[in-house]
Amino acid sequence: MAWLSELGRRVWMLLHRQQFDADLEEEVRLHLELREQEKIQAGLSPGEAHQAALRQFGNATLLKEKSHMAWGWEWFESFVQDIAYGSRAMLRSPALTIVALLSLALGIGANTAIFSLLDAVMLRSLPVKDPAQLVLLGKGTASGMTDDFARTQLYSYPFYRRMQGENQVFSDTAAICSMTNGVHGFVEGRSESEPMNVQLVSGTYFGTLGVRAMTGRTLNDGDDNSEGDHPVTVISYAWWKRSLARDPNVLSRRLKLGATTYDIVGVAPPEFFGTKVGEAPDMWVPLSMIKVVPPNFGGYKDNFSESLLIMGRLKPGVSIAEATANVNLLFRQILISFAGSKLDQENQQKLDRTKVPLTPMATGISSLRRQFSEPLQILMAVVALVLLIACANIANLLLARSTARARELAIRQALGARRLRIIRQLLTESLVLALAGGALGVALASVANRILLRMVSGGLDPIPLDVSIDSRLLLFTVAVTITTALIFGTVPAFRATRLQLTDTLKAGRGPQGASGKNPLAKALVISQVSLSLVLMVGAGLFLRSLVNLNNVDAGFNKENVLRLNIDSSSAGYKADEPREVALDQQIEERVSALPNVKAASLSAFTFNEGTWDSGVVTPGMKNNEGVDVNHNIVGLGYLATMQIPLLAGRNFSSSDTRTSQQVVIISEHTAKTLFPRDNPVGRHYNLGRDNKPEDDVTVIGVVKDVKFDNLAEEPVNLDYMPYPQRPWDFGDFEVRYTGDFAPVAAAVQQTIHSIDGNLPITRLTTLDEQVARSFTTQSLVAQLSAFFGLLAVFLSCIGIYGVMSYVVTRRTNEIGVRMALGAGRSNMLWMVLREILILVSIGVVIGVPVTLAGDRLVSNMLFGLKATDPLTLVSATVMLLIVAAIAGYLPARRASLVDPMAALRYE
Amino acid sequence: MHRDEIPPGTLYLLILKTLARAGEMHGYEIADSIQRISDDVLQVEEGSLYPALQRMLIKGWVKARWGTTAGNRRARYYQLTVTGRKQLETELSQFERVIGAITRVIETA
Repeated sequence: MAWLSELGRRVWMLLHRQQFDADLEEEVRLHLELREQEKIQAGLSPGEAHQAALRQFGNATLLKEKSHMAWGWEWFESFVQDIAYGSRAMLRSPALTIVALLSLALGIGANTAIFSLLDAVMLRSLPVKDPAQLVLLGKGTASGMTDDFARTQLYSYPFYRRMQGENQVFSDTAAICSMTNGVHGFVEGRSESEPMNVQLVSGTYFGTLGVRAMTGRTLNDGDDNSEGDHPVTVISYAWWKRSLARDPNVLSRRLKLGATTYDIVGVAPPEFFGTKVGEAPDMWVPLSMIKVVPPNFGGYKDNFSESLLIMGRLKPGVSIAEATANVNLLFRQILISFAGSKLDQENQQKLDRTKVPLTPMATGISSLRRQFSEPLQILMAVVALVLLIACANIANLLLARSTARARELAIRQALGARRLRIIRQLLTESLVLALAGGALGVALASVANRILLRMVSGGLDPIPLDVSIDSRLLLFTVAVTITTALIFGTVPAFRATRLQLTDTLKAGRGPQGASGKNPLAKALVISQVSLSLVLMVGAGLFLRSLVNLNNVDAGFNKENVLRLNIDSSSAGYKADEPREVALDQQIEERVSALPNVKAASLSAFTFNEGTWDSGVVTPGMKNNEGVDVNHNIVGLGYLATMQIPLLAGRNFSSSDTRTSQQVVIISEHTAKTLFPRDNPVGRHYNLGRDNKPEDDVTVIGVVKDVKFDNLAEEPVNLDYMPYPQRPWDFGDFEVRYTGDFAPVAAAVQQTIHSIDGNLPITRLTTLDEQVARSFTTQSLVAQLSAFFGLLAVFLSCIGIYGVMSYVVTRRTNEIGVRMALGAGRSNMLWMVLREILILVSIGVVIGVPVTLAGDRLVSNMLFGLKATDPLTLVSATVMLLIVAAIAGYLPARRASLVDPMAALRYE
Repeated sequence: MHRDEIPPGTLYLLILKTLARAGEMHGYEIADSIQRISDDVLQVEEGSLYPALQRMLIKGWVKARWGTTAGNRRARYYQLTVTGRKQLETELSQFERVIGAITRVIETA
């Protein structure tokens, strides 16, 4: 432990440095005086004695320094000095420092924020045991319920059971309902319902994931072995905290979902959010309860009620290829045994063509990923470019400063400072700058994270994603910062110390320095300009896409429509009961009668809400040739509420009842597809390939096409059916109003609650908002890329300004000479401006091909224009030239104002 | 009178030995003592004593305390530690080995 006590003594010394120096001073003084006395006693004169003592002692200052340095803190002390000096230097030129810090902070902050979102959405592994062993059958991109034959995305419960029992490649197999049940349930003992996101899973779910309960137990296979009699649930940690206030007696609490009361048997661990990234269920309920959890999907025993995702944990040593082979073999066997008489020639062919892919699900399942991976990657590239520009800017500023300090450094070198010492000082200064910028950046990132998440969530409740800055991210940021400092601090440092000392001392502004040639600084400006052009053109393209999207005619009038969701199934209503229809009619009637309400209607869908579709068959078509049509179940006033024009035939009326002829209104596009030659009004078709007589409908009208899923889509097949004929437990309620939104919204909700106080109302907003949410990603990308594009241009302008100011200062006396020889002020102005324009032009010439190559990568994200859109390119270039000229005008003007006499005298 | 520089590397040994003999001394006394005992032959560049003493303090061979001299002046007194004594033995045996070897070389010649 000798080194430890030695370290202790060294640290003690460090903490008592001043005391140490004073002691040493006193010790040396005593020594010299005693020696002097001795010499006087030996007969020397006091003066001689003093000299002799000093001679005999040696170089006192040097020896004191050596004694001090013996303790080994020199590096630290000079580091502290450098930091102090660097900070003072930064404060001396606050404008430069603020610009440098801001550009670093924005660059680093934006990178960190975007990366943390990217990480949360795309990269992070699920917090479960050995996530790399988990695979998913299919691609995990579908959700919903289908009865289609041989689908590889969604499976039925009986299929899951067969796969679980018969496969040889998975140690565990589990099923997850592809939809989350949005229920309004009751905590036992409370009278107010609250929204609860319920995830139905097989009993094997937690076991397969290797997730253990924090309190109580998780679900097990026993909870899922018979239908309808296992009312148990495991709740999430977040919900336990939020809704039950961390009640320690949670295991004695109960919940009511629909008509059934559930025992809480466990709480999941805090980090576990399920298997879908961006969806965090509040609780997990065994699939055995699928029929009674609202909205009562059902299909536990139906071989072709396919709504489940299936995942498996690979047995050790089993490869994906082996697992795929085994799964596909079983897939075929199981489906053939399920199909029975359904296995006609077409289905047989379909089965022969189908192959189930296995997808690794270490990072979970996510629809977010599909939506956001491309935009996030684009944004990541954008902010990385911004960081590059910021770094170039800082390099330029440091370069300019160190050149301005060339004289100071030369004097220090002449006085004996080692070159290494000066380089170290310059590096420390840039490190101080970079670390300060990095700290600001991290602070900015933690705010930006939340803003970004809110933007991504499109104004709804924030998507449950953990976007906090984790330690890896922090390391990454710190690495970026330090690298920035080292790279861009080194170059100026080396340049500054590689001086011809005498030249610099002789002629701080001599003719040699006056050439103003600074190829590195100019190269940096050129690259800044090219990168800015790339970003500006990108931003321009995204903004114009956004404008194009905004101008798309949706086919319905999105202005002045209020929309909300009514969850009648959570309040105990069933779609097939007359009571639901009566409720619906009452709501429509009472709300329509409100002041400022022009029309109101329920509907299954409005826009961008998913779909219910089937293959419809017209008479004369073979059953298997069905045409895929999206269906919307609506109230009688739907067309009026949405202002969808009727082109032919009639609208629904109150005479269209349960017992009358089944009617349908079709869109223009559907009419063209189903009845290309004839007048569609009065024609029939069947809603299903099965051609059941009760699914036969008669066309009574044709309406204009509307956008159904997104604004960019081509016209789709769509039909409308009235709910009195086809009961539906509605989600959507639309109200066309005049005047202010708020009073109408209040009145509508009050009216609904006066009919049934238990009806949960959610997602109250305007139709306009809902449409805007369908292009959240596009507006996110457009807004952020516009912001960063402008930032890039701003930074580049500062770069141009900095470099040109520096050039002008260096060339002051050249300009003086020129003016003395008769050059006019405007000549000087033009001389400087010309140099800027040359730099910017070179930047543009380099930037254009880079832009064209880079922007092609984003063409998927564009709408209504091409990546090579010339207008965007030209306007970005012109804008860049104008802004650069403005940035360069100030130094140019300064050049034109040089007083020739003053400039020459300065020589 | 001619004075010889002390052989390099032996300053620690001289200081350790001097302190071992005297018990406790301040810097001037140490320098003086080395000079006197060597009959003024060994001339320490007096100042270099102090960096050496600092290094010995770091190593923990000596410890220091402030005291008062006979002339009532404040002075820093140095004293050997246990480690210092061990170090003295090490340095002594090493020195003797080297000197012995050198002597043998010289005498054979």
